[in-house]
Amino acid sequence: MAHKPKRVGFKLDMTPLVDVAFLLLTFFMLTAKFKSDAESEQKFEIKRPTASADTAKLPEMGTATVKIGIEKGGDTVMYYTVANEKDRGAIYTQVPGLTMEEAAKKAQVMVPDTTVLGHLVLATRSKTSNKVKFAIDADRRINFGRIEQVMNTFRSQGATTFNFVTVSQQSSGKD
Amino acid sequence: MAGADLGGGGGRSHKKKGSSIKKPKRIGFSLDMTPLVDVAFLLLTFFMFATTMAQPQIMEMSTPPQLDVPIDVQASRLITIYVRFDGKIFYNTGLDPAMQPLELNKIKEFSVQRNSEKGNDLITSLKVDPRAKYSQLIKVLDELNLAEGDLTEKYKQQKTTRERRFAMVQMTEQDKEELAKL
Repeated sequence: MAHKPKRVGFKLDMTPLVDVAFLLLTFFMLTAKFKSDAESEQKFEIKRPTASADTAKLPEMGTATVKIGIEKGGDTVMYYTVANEKDRGAIYTQVPGLTMEEAAKKAQVMVPDTTVLGHLVLATRSKTSNKVKFAIDADRRINFGRIEQVMNTFRSQGATTFNFVTVSQQSSGKD
Repeated sequence: MAGADLGGGGGRSHKKKGSSIKKPKRIGFSLDMTPLVDVAFLLLTFFMFATTMAQPQIMEMSTPPQLDVPIDVQASRLITIYVRFDGKIFYNTGLDPAMQPLELNKIKEFSVQRNSEKGNDLITSLKVDPRAKYSQLIKVLDELNLAEGDLTEKYKQQKTTRERRFAMVQMTEQDKEELAKL
């Protein structure tokens, strides 16, 4: 009586699969840079303009960014965010024209006009003893007029050096 | 030997006698890796979605502080680049106010050449129409920055330092009219 082992399903050698999976997992774990609070909150998209010359990266801390993006409906919106969490509340609550409950808990606040932006910039400069780097993070499809308003606001508040946020040509491709 | 017990190679001779039940041969050992793979893929997927690739770069920009008194500049030292509402680029010099068209990919070459003629004295100003697209401004700035890189390199070879004189200036109504004619 020959006993044949029963065949239940079939077996597959998963070792190479696991090897590759772990390789990728390690890669992604090591390169992971998480989205900031402000980024996960925002409901608009910013298609950054491409540039090649500058290789300086946007620092994660010590920055205050004006974001000008395009909402789903096609309207432009302006937001302001300070990277340092501890300064945020103190800056936002100082500014008239922003609702308090919004200012206290949000990572970025909506800026209705350049007057409010001016207050924000001034509050940021005084709160951080002028060590903060200002940046304009705008969508490339936006008219320069909007950017000019922001630049003039910066200038009138004494923030004469600021940065334009761009992406490198290689990583985003040609538009 | 501990290794023999695990592998099964040495233990075979003991079990041979008297056992009527045939035991399947044990070659090495196999481990069910399915849960491991499940977890690995779960983490993999999580990290793939949570990662933001392509860290943004920055392009530094300085504007002159607000002054009430206009500063006089020698006409021969000034060169102005204009970006029209449709993105077309023009330039003129302090001495020759007639606006000339300029190609975007020629800006770098142009800037290097003009700056080399004047040394550190040349003042480049950029006027952009508010209706022009922001991307066009960045493209022009990018070209000027590239030219600046070349110039710095060139100056270093000549053992001198490069001082950049650049400003963004608001476009006047008069400029807009002039540009519209071209």
